Amino acid sequence: MKIIACYSNKGGVGKTATSVNLAYAFAAAGKRTLLCDLDPQGASGFYFRVKPSKKLTEAAFFKDVERLTKAIRGSDYSNLDILPANLGFREFDVFLSRMRNSRSRLKKALKAIRADYDVILLDCPPNISVLSENVFRTADAIVVPVIPTTLSERTFEQLVDFFLAHDLPVKKLHGFFSMVQGVKALHGATIAEMQSRYPKRFMKTQIPFASDIERMGVLRAPVMVTAPTSAASKAYEALYLETAQRVEGE
Amino acid sequence: MTHSNDASYSLPLAAAEGLAQEDFGKFTATWMPEGDDSDLTVLDCFDLPLLRSGRLLLEIRNTLDLLTADGQILTQTAQRGGNFVTDLPDGPVKRALGDLSVLRSLLPVGTGKIRRETLTLRDDEDKVQCRAQLRQLITADGGALLVFVQGLRGYEKARALMHSKIEAAGGKTFDDDDLFARLFPGRVAYQAKPEIVIASDEAAFDIANDIIAAHILVARANEPGIIADHDTEFLHDYRIALRKIRSVLSLFKGIYEPDQTEDLKARFSSLMAATGRLRDLDVYLMEKQKYYALLPVALHGGLDMLFNRLSADRKEEHAKLAARLRSKSYAKEIEKLERLFTRRKKLSRGPKADLSAHGYASTLIWKRYDKVHKIAAEIGPNTDDTEIHALRIHCKKLRYLMEFFAPAFPQSQVKSLIKPLRHLQDTLGLFNDYAIQQVSLAAILHQLDERPESGALELAQSIGALVAMLHRLQIEERAKVMDGVARFDRAETRQRFRSLFREGH
Ligand SMILES: Nc1ncnc2c1ncn2[C@@H]1O[C@H](COP(=O)(O)OP(=O)(O)OP(=O)(O)O)[C@@H](O)[C@H]1O
Ligand SMILES: [Mg+2]
Repeated sequence: MKIIACYSNKGGVGKTATSVNLAYAFAAAGKRTLLCDLDPQGASGFYFRVKPSKKLTEAAFFKDVERLTKAIRGSDYSNLDILPANLGFREFDVFLSRMRNSRSRLKKALKAIRADYDVILLDCPPNISVLSENVFRTADAIVVPVIPTTLSERTFEQLVDFFLAHDLPVKKLHGFFSMVQGVKALHGATIAEMQSRYPKRFMKTQIPFASDIERMGVLRAPVMVTAPTSAASKAYEALYLETAQRVEGE
Repeated sequence: MTHSNDASYSLPLAAAEGLAQEDFGKFTATWMPEGDDSDLTVLDCFDLPLLRSGRLLLEIRNTLDLLTADGQILTQTAQRGGNFVTDLPDGPVKRALGDLSVLRSLLPVGTGKIRRETLTLRDDEDKVQCRAQLRQLITADGGALLVFVQGLRGYEKARALMHSKIEAAGGKTFDDDDLFARLFPGRVAYQAKPEIVIASDEAAFDIANDIIAAHILVARANEPGIIADHDTEFLHDYRIALRKIRSVLSLFKGIYEPDQTEDLKARFSSLMAATGRLRDLDVYLMEKQKYYALLPVALHGGLDMLFNRLSADRKEEHAKLAARLRSKSYAKEIEKLERLFTRRKKLSRGPKADLSAHGYASTLIWKRYDKVHKIAAEIGPNTDDTEIHALRIHCKKLRYLMEFFAPAFPQSQVKSLIKPLRHLQDTLGLFNDYAIQQVSLAAILHQLDERPESGALELAQSIGALVAMLHRLQIEERAKVMDGVARFDRAETRQRFRSLFREGH
């Protein structure tokens, strides 16, 4: 069983779009997959039409195995289940910081359900917090979408620094370029610059900026389902293959 | 994802319309056809292990669908090199058929048409909450609507609603239903061990007739399969049926007049005799892999020659038996015997014909048990092999008697006595097989062509080595026989035999 987190401390970079399509791709490849929505906004659940969980409060998430298990919902697709978010997840941090061993609680919470799945994907909210530290410790791999701009470059740098400062294994980080616009010279330059700076940390696959992906919000299904032959779907398929290889290869 | 409480239902065909009208309350129900209507063939082994375990194997165009009792439909390509499960390419269907006998081939049970649909329940956000796959099977004289419910995790209400609607429409779960009867009404499902009802005060004469009549039918049911040579189990079952008839004739003493008993024994024996050689060859060919494993590669050349010969012999022998089973004289004889035991007017009652089942059986079983016990008590490391063979024969007869008359005694008690007996028989059987194989291999050795160019030398070397190996295995098995005898011949078992068959009357 592997835990893969989709994380960035920057908002709106494509974490949820990536989580949704990666989870779908793993499931379609026959892996029993759980997509766990850790963001109180509940965007992942929304894309799969799964209603937010009413009963799964932050306390239940970390303390009540039965509640957690009961909150899981089957998606419309085979092999793919969803653990929808709850607005209470907003309080994750306050809650976690009050708990003992607060940095390893997530691992503990997932222990109860890991036997049911081959892959658990975590869609994370955009911040560095006690929760994200939990994510860093729990996940086998952290997939980081990076929009090729100067600002994102800084964000990735901060993340690497955080890992170094907290003695976390940097090799868990797997960056990729998201919302790439081929016409923008700046994108090309930033990509080249970052790849040479972190030669091992970036995957080859790039996800293009695509209106098919934007439309997911209207169609409420993975783009790999609604536009399977589109460039966006092919890119996600490639990202899945590369991620799977990196996760298996360690 | 799949869940333990997914289920499969079967309903009368007519239920399809009613189900389509159902109101699923707050859920929106949509019906989607899955592909076009198609021809289908139901596949199973001759003894119907799939249908009897709530599974349905369908060949539809180029695919095999396995419909299981837990709501699943498994699919894989139907392309295959032969009709045994081992001939199927690897896939989910093949894996789910792993429990079937490797000796049995998959055969068409019947044909029909199939219509496939999916019923989906969605909520107000258009989220799927439950699916059911529907299969309408229409055969020549029957048909069924099969429904496979696949709930989604966390949506228990939708699943429960689906189950209740299907049950209300007359749905029965696979294990509560007779799929064979629904699809093929009026047809009799083959049963290698027919159930024969015996009342404990029934006359021994009637019981013998019932057993024999039922087993003639079993034998006859296997004739087409032997002729077509689908698999070796047809002949095996045919022979077992005849052997049981013969053992009724020899074990049930005094049921018929002595002359008639002798005449019947001879006639059934001659039916049996015609099949012996083919069965021997079948057994050899089944042991093929084992023989290769017993000998070093250097001696495999001789084995190749041996098995080429045996295969050729088998082909010839099968053609002979098939011709015989198709002959007018065979048909005349077997039909005569069949009539004799269904009409029963020409059967002459012997001195014990009117004894009641329970008393008659008790005496026979007790006497036979006593013989087994006496030999068993004497068996030690120095006992002659012939004694062990004698023990095997008596055990076999005891087992037949107990099985024939089981319905006249408390079921569970007889069963619990048959179990240790069966263990002993397994060991004795293996010991005997090794002995017989040595003898018949030696016989092949004797028939060998002496000319050097015939390859006889190489063949003889391999056979010689094989006989030596089999001899060793036989000695090993003999040690186990001692063990098996000790386990069977215990004071406690003896006491149970005594109270059931000696003190019970
Ligand atoms: N490759 C892309 N091309 C075009 N639009 C995209 C792409 N990826 C994501 N989007 C759109 O950008 C918006 C933000 O994406 P998404 O929600 O996946 O980001 P996020 O990192 O999860 O955001 P948040 O930090 O709010 O959780 C969404 O409207 C989404 O449809
Ligand atoms: Mg998001």
